[in-house]
Amino acid sequence: MARHIAWIAGALLLAMPALAQQPIPVGHLMDNSGATSDVGVPYGQGVADALAWRNQQGGVAGRRLAVTGFDYGYQAPRAVSQYQAWSQRERVVAIQGWGTADTEALVRFVTRDRIPYISASYSAALTDAGGRSGRQGVEAAPYNFFYGPSYSDALRGMLQWAKQDWERRGQQGRPRYVHMGANHPYPNSPKEAGEALARELGFEVLPAIQFALTPGDYTAQCLTLRSQGANYAYLGNTAGSNISVLRACQTAGVQVQFLGNVWGMDENAMKAAGVAANGVVFPVRTATVWGGEALGMAAINAISRVSDPAGTAYRPVHYLAGACAAMLMAEAMETAAEGGGQVTGERIRNGFYARQNWVPRGFEGVCVPSTFTNEDHRGTMRVALYRAVVSGDTSQASIADLMRAGTMRLEPVATIDLERRRDWLGW
Amino acid sequence: MSGMTPAGDFRSSYRADTTIFPTRGSRVALLIGIAILCTCPLMLGRYELGLLITIGFMGIAALGLNILVGFTGQISIGHAAFFGFGAFASALLAEHHVPVPIAIWGAGLMTAVVGLVFGAPAARLKGLYLAIATLAAQFILEDFFARARWFTGGVAGRITEPYTVFGVSFDREETYFYVVLAHVVLMFLAAANLMRTRDGRALVAVRDHYLSAEIMGINLAYYRTLSFAISSFFAGVGGALYAHYLLFVSVEAFNILFSIQFLAMVIIGGLGSVMGSLMGAAFMVLLPELVQVGADLLAGSAIDRALKLGASISFLREMVVGAAIILFLIFEPDGLAHRWRLVKAYWKLYPYSH
Repeated sequence: MARHIAWIAGALLLAMPALAQQPIPVGHLMDNSGATSDVGVPYGQGVADALAWRNQQGGVAGRRLAVTGFDYGYQAPRAVSQYQAWSQRERVVAIQGWGTADTEALVRFVTRDRIPYISASYSAALTDAGGRSGRQGVEAAPYNFFYGPSYSDALRGMLQWAKQDWERRGQQGRPRYVHMGANHPYPNSPKEAGEALARELGFEVLPAIQFALTPGDYTAQCLTLRSQGANYAYLGNTAGSNISVLRACQTAGVQVQFLGNVWGMDENAMKAAGVAANGVVFPVRTATVWGGEALGMAAINAISRVSDPAGTAYRPVHYLAGACAAMLMAEAMETAAEGGGQVTGERIRNGFYARQNWVPRGFEGVCVPSTFTNEDHRGTMRVALYRAVVSGDTSQASIADLMRAGTMRLEPVATIDLERRRDWLGW
Repeated sequence: MSGMTPAGDFRSSYRADTTIFPTRGSRVALLIGIAILCTCPLMLGRYELGLLITIGFMGIAALGLNILVGFTGQISIGHAAFFGFGAFASALLAEHHVPVPIAIWGAGLMTAVVGLVFGAPAARLKGLYLAIATLAAQFILEDFFARARWFTGGVAGRITEPYTVFGVSFDREETYFYVVLAHVVLMFLAAANLMRTRDGRALVAVRDHYLSAEIMGINLAYYRTLSFAISSFFAGVGGALYAHYLLFVSVEAFNILFSIQFLAMVIIGGLGSVMGSLMGAAFMVLLPELVQVGADLLAGSAIDRALKLGASISFLREMVVGAAIILFLIFEPDGLAHRWRLVKAYWKLYPYSH
């Protein structure tokens, strides 16, 4: 008997390296050329570098991650057909995704195929893991995850801050709030949630203003803002088109406190918009920004060197968020592989549930704690707000120099801890 | 009908002149071809089947455009909008509990009506003016898709049902392939036969010279708009097949670039050739795949580093498609269908090709 066991053990030992060497297929959907490529490029780079770095460190449980990247140009149908190729040809066990339209379209597919989908869309509709919210149009999304507060929660945090800001400045009357963005699932996602809370908080809610996801001339929108007398305006698009609005409004002399979407502002946008970006308040998903002092920055710097061996590049906030999202997935895979387990989609999903207040190892002080349960995929209810401060000409120097000189600063404003309200799940 | 075509032209009836299969061999070859295609799901992977399915529904839509552009001599740069209309219409019908097999044809008919409306300017306009009018169709429909939530689900798109007959669901590549194959065979047979009818000959007459056609008693306005309706019907059926394959329809797909792609398919395949439409569709679907393979080979190589391609390798695909169209227009303006005839003639006459 003992001899049999020895044989089996020996055979297993021989088989182990073969098993260990088999790579883990992962899909990585990027927008490097579409309407949101302004923020898609740094985020996608963050994800790609983090996964490549992970491979340099020996991969997950001794297995390499075979990452297939695909630039889908922000076209949901292309993402869906690529998903079919990935799920059937590459047989990926997890996917790093991107936009709201495509992620929401894929919910049913990833649920059917049991493939964890870590999106860069933070649409609240993706958080209802158990499908218990009973909201119309929201279905169970047990395989969808994202790192950071949902769009709706981020906006709720900003509205609470705006309320405090209004009172602190000793303003009279009801503040006026307006939602701005393209007619697209991504800017639309937090629209109703934001307007509902704004009413609850005593804001006067103005009719929403539309502007396209691509840069353009938005003077008309700014004039509407002025004639409506808006005090707080939410910018629902990504940085590139928001810059157009900021610039047009500066020219038109509109005095509004802009509240940026999580993808609505970053260091690149600050440089491009110049002083027009000064004062925009927006949520930042990491505990620190590039150049900050934190334990986890050593790992982030190492990740950055994957695509920038010289170590001179400045990495905007989205890069760090991309690295955190990739690391959550890698660690969930590791949990799945623990004790010789198979790295399957289902086990990776359970890996997301394994820890409370979860910060990927080695990223303390960078990635903020996330908690996922099988009913609630709102990873965090904490919204850290920063203000973009631009005090001078940004056209001459590089972002790194501007940030070092203090011409551009990201200034922490407030951290709002939202209540984990049940009626906000999936909304 | 014999196995070989005679050396001279001995056709003595219109019937013999308009036959689809000139020899028994060609009929047998087609049947064998279809039989081989039927065994594809057993041999090919899902990805390859996916490509064949795409060729199928794109081919149907391209055939529609070919009837309009190649056979009737009209122009449309709004074909993708009709394709999209079919996709949304079928999704909507399926949601209202119309069985998908019927919804697909229903969508085709609905699209034909829409095509009739937008084809109305064709009764009066020609050439560039008509092109601009169809461009308007493209933009009007696109905007309609983005706003009409009841119809399209708005900008978020619409999730559709798989193709189901008597409780059997054709929701996998292996099974859906047969659905598309059946539709392709039907639609191509229909188009080939349409061209043998009075109406089909009228369309060709309109293309060849509108004045002579009118003098011969062909109602120009009628046939021009009819051509739009037929073309839209094909586009609608193609779009519906697409909708029930991808199971998700979104307005973003049906932009002007997609319309241009359809035009490219007909030009590359061969204007005025039924089979050419399918060849053009196959070319346009497979070309990006080939470029992708090439790009994958290039990635990380010395050429990649030297040209700093990196992330822009994905743009290569779009550029190659553009280059392919230009090259075809210069070297093979009659399209793949013509090249295919030359290849056949070469083997038929070998070694005495002169």
